Amino acid sequence: MAQPLQSINLVAPAFKGINTEDSPIAQDTSFAEVADNAIIDRQGRLASRQGNSVITTTKTVLGTDYIHNIHEFYDSAGNEVIFSTGNNKIMTGTTTLVDATPGSYTITANDWKIVNFNDHAYFFQRGYEPLVYSNSLGAVTKMTAVSGSSVTSSQYCHEALAGFGRMWVVGNTTNDTIIYWSDLLDGDDFSGGSSGSIDVSKAWPAGADKVTALAAHNGFLVVFGEHSILVYGNPESPASMALTDTVAGVGCIDRKTIQNIGTDLLFLSDDGLRSLGRVIQEKSLPLSDLSRNVKQDLIGKLSLKTSPATSVYSPENYFYLLGLPDSNLVYCFDLRGRLENGSFRVTKWPSVNFKSFARDRNGDVYIGTVDGIGTYSGYDDNNSSFVFRYTSPGLTFGDPSKIKILKKIRPTIIGGNDSDIVLSWAYDFSIQANTSRFRVGTSTPGFYGESEYTAVEFTLGDLISRKSLNCTGNGSVVTVGLQTEVNGNSISLQEMNVLALIGKTL
Amino acid sequence: MATTFEEMVTNPASNPYTTGTVGGSSSSGIGNFLGGLLGPLIGGASIAGGSALTKSAYDRLGDIGEQAVLGTTVGDQRIPGALEMAQSALDLSQFRPFTVTSATGGTFGVKPPTMMTDPVTGQQFMSGTEATLGLSPEELALQKSLFADATTAFQDVLQEGGTAAREQGVYDRIRAVQEAEEQRRQLALEERLASQGRLGVTSAMYGGTPEQLALSQAQETAKNQAALMAMEQAQAEQLQQANIAGSLLGASYIPQAQMINVQQAAQLFPQLQQQAQLFGAGQYGETMMSGLEARLIAEQARANLLGGIGSGILGGMFSPVKTDTGIGSLFGSLLGDIFG
Repeated sequence: MAQPLQSINLVAPAFKGINTEDSPIAQDTSFAEVADNAIIDRQGRLASRQGNSVITTTKTVLGTDYIHNIHEFYDSAGNEVIFSTGNNKIMTGTTTLVDATPGSYTITANDWKIVNFNDHAYFFQRGYEPLVYSNSLGAVTKMTAVSGSSVTSSQYCHEALAGFGRMWVVGNTTNDTIIYWSDLLDGDDFSGGSSGSIDVSKAWPAGADKVTALAAHNGFLVVFGEHSILVYGNPESPASMALTDTVAGVGCIDRKTIQNIGTDLLFLSDDGLRSLGRVIQEKSLPLSDLSRNVKQDLIGKLSLKTSPATSVYSPENYFYLLGLPDSNLVYCFDLRGRLENGSFRVTKWPSVNFKSFARDRNGDVYIGTVDGIGTYSGYDDNNSSFVFRYTSPGLTFGDPSKIKILKKIRPTIIGGNDSDIVLSWAYDFSIQANTSRFRVGTSTPGFYGESEYTAVEFTLGDLISRKSLNCTGNGSVVTVGLQTEVNGNSISLQEMNVLALIGKTL
Repeated sequence: MATTFEEMVTNPASNPYTTGTVGGSSSSGIGNFLGGLLGPLIGGASIAGGSALTKSAYDRLGDIGEQAVLGTTVGDQRIPGALEMAQSALDLSQFRPFTVTSATGGTFGVKPPTMMTDPVTGQQFMSGTEATLGLSPEELALQKSLFADATTAFQDVLQEGGTAAREQGVYDRIRAVQEAEEQRRQLALEERLASQGRLGVTSAMYGGTPEQLALSQAQETAKNQAALMAMEQAQAEQLQQANIAGSLLGASYIPQAQMINVQQAAQLFPQLQQQAQLFGAGQYGETMMSGLEARLIAEQARANLLGGIGSGILGGMFSPVKTDTGIGSLFGSLLGDIFG
């Protein structure tokens, strides 16, 4: 007697991002086992990320190195300079990288922290004399050469923060607990006026620690240790500022991962991505773990981390990117909302050579690579394709004890102009999957205000492809997936309908 | 040992100036006298006899005058003359050394001037009156002790750097009292700063935190006040020490002053003795002079008598008178009536 087909409709598959922490067969089908080079687009669909459109054309100064840092300097007069670092140099420009390293200033490392303060850009790196740039100076200048400056090797620091009318620096070659603050509105005067310092070595709530990062948030000076957080109130008067809160067991392991998202402060701890507001509210309870769904995976990657991480917050794209250059990996956390467990939806961008990020005032996200500076735009990485991949969690059709015989998979795909789509399915967690390829139609979308619309032609909208592919094989747990090369056109997965016959009980 | 006036009065025999009775009569003396007087009359011629009596009377007056100045011996009794009596009066009125001894053993003595020889020139000279003041051993020990204490006290007062050392000492003691509270406040502030995570604050404006600056200012103010107090205290103590030293020095002279007081109180007795001495010397002189005067009068009378007799004899010799019983019986009855 014929059995009716059972249907599992994966609407907006991977809407909740990757989940590698829970059991695959017990997962919500809105999660994904794999979501590579994907984002959650504005319609809540799993979509391919944008690419890296390199704008640098002349990178002689950079040599074979990559861009370690990108920073946009701007002042109250509207002057703007894009600084980047790499190849032991400080460079300006985006299309043509120009060496702006001061004369007789030797650099052997590229872990700069560049901050804007009072119409100046300040460059700090551990063990190096700080550098200063302003429109009036006209060039990157040693801090000691700036008139009225007062700086010693104590301020040759690793971390710098511009906030509360002062420069705050910490982490020289011999000490990681003394925070120095400059005179009021004078970022290069660390000895006169109301300048000073505070040694927080005795303030850690859980033993010894060292300062890894500083942040200004909600009127508080946030001092991040590797395993602790100190929150100082009244930092406008540094000599009188006092602890208002401390957090033990949670810290920041990389100063470049701190991003202020307006209502909260995100940072990378040794066990994942955290938010300060939640941490303070919940005193480091696991609920504040924003990367809980990829926690083990992320911790594994962090254990391999030897070079600085990078991050960027883009409100335009609703994401927080966490780059791990050592692993050629970027985690993309979608900030539209949190899941039931308090975490952000997350996707991964593997096999990318994105080494640094920055966002300018216009909302452009800059990407630093070996090719120079690019922007987060287009749908290829410097004219090279990348693979968009999705794999569902294990599907049991409500009864893992019975055999499922897949009959059809009917994906609904948006975009992907003339791309080959490879659908895959596998049974019982096998790494060997059955595949089926098909090509979507050709349609180059032209949107209002973009590309060809204003020039020659426009389309009615995105190309929508619905295919019904026959499947083979059987098993108790079914995993389906899709992958395609993204090479200039976006693609998103709107829906995936899986039809199967339910067989006998095993 | 000099003989006092009282001894001379009560025991005349002890008077070195008296060798016999003054004005006494003796039959043997009378006989000698008459023999000597009448011999020339009876055995000589009447003229010659009268002249001789007159001359004898004259000589006697001369002798009496000489004896009044130089003295004589009467009946083995030495009668001093005016010269001797002046000397005796001088000796009797000579200052008598005396000694005053207090109840605590101190002594005060005065020695009369003595003849001394200049050791350089060899000339003799009369020393001045020597007064000596002596303390008992206990008083002397006390005086030495007080004097030594006064010396030590003055040395302490005037010791170079002594005030500074005392200032430091007082300052240290004041600070020792203050430091306990300061330490408590310091610890309280440290605890507060630690709870606020501000222990390691260093600022160009305050050095540390404003609270630390305030506490440091309070501590420094306390130190300043302690220093000023220490200076004032040290100076007050120095003044007190000087007063004590002065008191000790003054006290060291108290036994001596008390001895002087005792001596002054005892001055009455040497004065009384002096008055008695002077009175006795005066009495002695007057008495002796009265004796001399009496003797002089007597001798004058006797000389006058002899002179009268001589004149009578000479007058009778040259004026014829009736003779009944002879000259011998006349002279005999006459002299017998006179000398009886």
